Amino acid sequence: MNTLLLKLAVTAAVTCLLTSNPIAAQLSPTTPRTPRVQITQGPAIEMTKEFLTIIRWTTNNPGASPEHYGVVHYGTDPKNLSETAKSLIRLNPDHASTVFRVRLDNLKPRTTYYYTVGSEEANGTDDGAKSAVKQFTTPGESQRAGRSQAWD
Amino acid sequence: MKPTTWISTVTICAAGIAAVLLSSYMSAVQRNKDDKKRMTSPYNPYPPGILPGDLNSEVERVLREVDLVENRALARWQALALPIVRGQPPTLQNTGTEAIETLGELMNFDRNMSPNRNQACMSCHMPYAGFGGPIPSVNLTIVAYPGTAHFRVGKRTPQRHAYAPFFPVLQYNQAQGLFFGGNFYDSRATGVLLRNPDAEQAQGPPVDTQEMGFPDTACVAFRLNTAAYRPLFELVWGAGSLDIKFPRNTEAICDIPGGASTFRGNTTPIDLTPEDRTKANAAYGHWGQSIDSYEQSVQVSPFSSKFDAFLAGKYKLTADEMAGFELFNGKGNCNSCHLDGRGTTLRPNQHDTGSAATVNPLFTCFGSANEGLPLNPRNAFYYETTPDSLGFVGNPYGFGYRDLGLGTFLRSGFGSGPNPNSNWTQSAPSVDGQMQVSSARDVAMTPPQCPTTEAGSRPYFQKGFFHNGYLKSLKQLVHFYNTRDKFAFPVTSGHCPAGTIEKVTCWPLPEVKNNIDMTTGNLGLADKEEDQIVAFLETLTDGFTRPYPNIDTFTGTCMTCNPVTDPNCSPSRQGNGSLIPTPPLPPCASAICGAPPAASPPIP
Repeated sequence: MNTLLLKLAVTAAVTCLLTSNPIAAQLSPTTPRTPRVQITQGPAIEMTKEFLTIIRWTTNNPGASPEHYGVVHYGTDPKNLSETAKSLIRLNPDHASTVFRVRLDNLKPRTTYYYTVGSEEANGTDDGAKSAVKQFTTPGESQRAGRSQAWD
Repeated sequence: MKPTTWISTVTICAAGIAAVLLSSYMSAVQRNKDDKKRMTSPYNPYPPGILPGDLNSEVERVLREVDLVENRALARWQALALPIVRGQPPTLQNTGTEAIETLGELMNFDRNMSPNRNQACMSCHMPYAGFGGPIPSVNLTIVAYPGTAHFRVGKRTPQRHAYAPFFPVLQYNQAQGLFFGGNFYDSRATGVLLRNPDAEQAQGPPVDTQEMGFPDTACVAFRLNTAAYRPLFELVWGAGSLDIKFPRNTEAICDIPGGASTFRGNTTPIDLTPEDRTKANAAYGHWGQSIDSYEQSVQVSPFSSKFDAFLAGKYKLTADEMAGFELFNGKGNCNSCHLDGRGTTLRPNQHDTGSAATVNPLFTCFGSANEGLPLNPRNAFYYETTPDSLGFVGNPYGFGYRDLGLGTFLRSGFGSGPNPNSNWTQSAPSVDGQMQVSSARDVAMTPPQCPTTEAGSRPYFQKGFFHNGYLKSLKQLVHFYNTRDKFAFPVTSGHCPAGTIEKVTCWPLPEVKNNIDMTTGNLGLADKEEDQIVAFLETLTDGFTRPYPNIDTFTGTCMTCNPVTDPNCSPSRQGNGSLIPTPPLPPCASAICGAPPAASPPIP
């Protein structure tokens, strides 16, 4: 009797797994981690305004957790990139490559910044792709036209 | 003491005590009557032009439509062959499913589930709007809906709840470092107790001070006692499940909207015995579960769209719809979170051909995101800074309020609910500003006589998109994803620089800069490609393979405009005539942005 019950329980468990709630399959999946993540394009300045700079680069799809962070280390001294900016992106498992874009807010006008880029999983695991140190210069105050009362 | 003296003394004392008790009772009744009288005087802290001019008549119109559906549901119940209770455990055989679904429908459309008997759940979620907001002028302006006490108003658009029952219990995935599931924009209906977020979502509005507004959850059981469909409730949930000894002042208490100063913050003002409180709590759980049953049924979530027919090989997408589908999955990258159900769980050496759905797609990943929406100064919530006649203040912070969504919930903060898991709280800074990613299904649903959401030469039904209703058309929604960063300006809404057009070539600053999702924001889509994605989104509207129940109940007026004479008569500029300048913003209130754990970086 106990054996029969055990068989029934195992059968039920297997059936449950095989016919598991299809909704669970719609959670963003963790996909296989790509062994070697490489920057294939960029990094480059997508846009720079007095109040906002966006840095953009492309890698092969790193896989692993569905959300990643693009990470930019930056500063005005190329040997001391003391500031960090991180922006969230979502991987698309169907895409061969992934575009990372990172927002840098509150930069000083007419200032040259040096930076490197990399990426990591939402839990902080590094993807292992890093760029060389690059630089950009923010525009001047002239672009303050149109500014309104706001947060910054 | 002589016996006669003793009897006289006792009689006098008894009379005195009775008089005191009666006086106390009458005083309470009078106080409640006074409260009710005060309640009838409208609350209007809003500057001229904030509330839409047709608000009263539109609220009445929706109530008539709510009653119509309620009567249809009553007829369905009357025609229902009763299920038979059989088996062990006892189960409602044969028509049990339809019985509980019909019960949920009757509850959803019951206007008696509010102190003033003037608001049902569906007052903010009619079928013809994809179970979203049913009043075009509200969607155009104040975006949130007035509650039972006119006019206390909520802070967010009514979230479309079709397919909401499919969201899992809120969970933190340790490996991924992400939250999934729950219901509500801020995921505060976690499902922690009922193990069903949608059922717990249904427990929110009846006691939300700016919605249906009962002061005590037991008021639901109290009103169910006298509901016409009480026999159906007892059939489903058991005879005697509503047999609760309510005190005599229960009706008077349930007639007063929650948050009234008379309650002094007490959330259980109905004095019940522990046993009766347990019964009332159980009935409140059954309320949520019944409503969830209806919302998961084919009455609400039927998978009957053109896209479902396409997946079944019974509909051929038009060239534009197909192009939109490919953009949705490709250049637009929409399906990185609005999952289309295709096989994406790849294993090494496997490649997704993308040719077939593995499950019924829900077009959500059950996650949350901060898309960087600007603060919407039309939202009536910002103006509810003074007490109403009952002493209730909706938003003491005024424009110092910031909607941090999931972040505020994890902190158990103002305007959200208690977080049941203190381990989650530390994650608040990483989710500040994030709102639940709703299913894209039925985003374009409109009443049949108003065939589109987009302004132009055809009659249209005005909707409000995202949690704060800032976007007024699907075209704007796609354009926002496409150009948010390309056309970013350091201004607030209503202050775009000369030479730009708000929502076309100018996007104001995000309300919350932290944790913005950068997957989108500069997609490089051409104008026609945006239109094609809109065409694809319109294929997700239910009712193609079979009629969508109760979609015929809209009795209001479609919006119309003349594209020749009105510069805002286009999907791109739709609603721009209703923009108002955002006032100078005070810093975010410390009770919101200063609550621990600290936001990183600080939210100004």
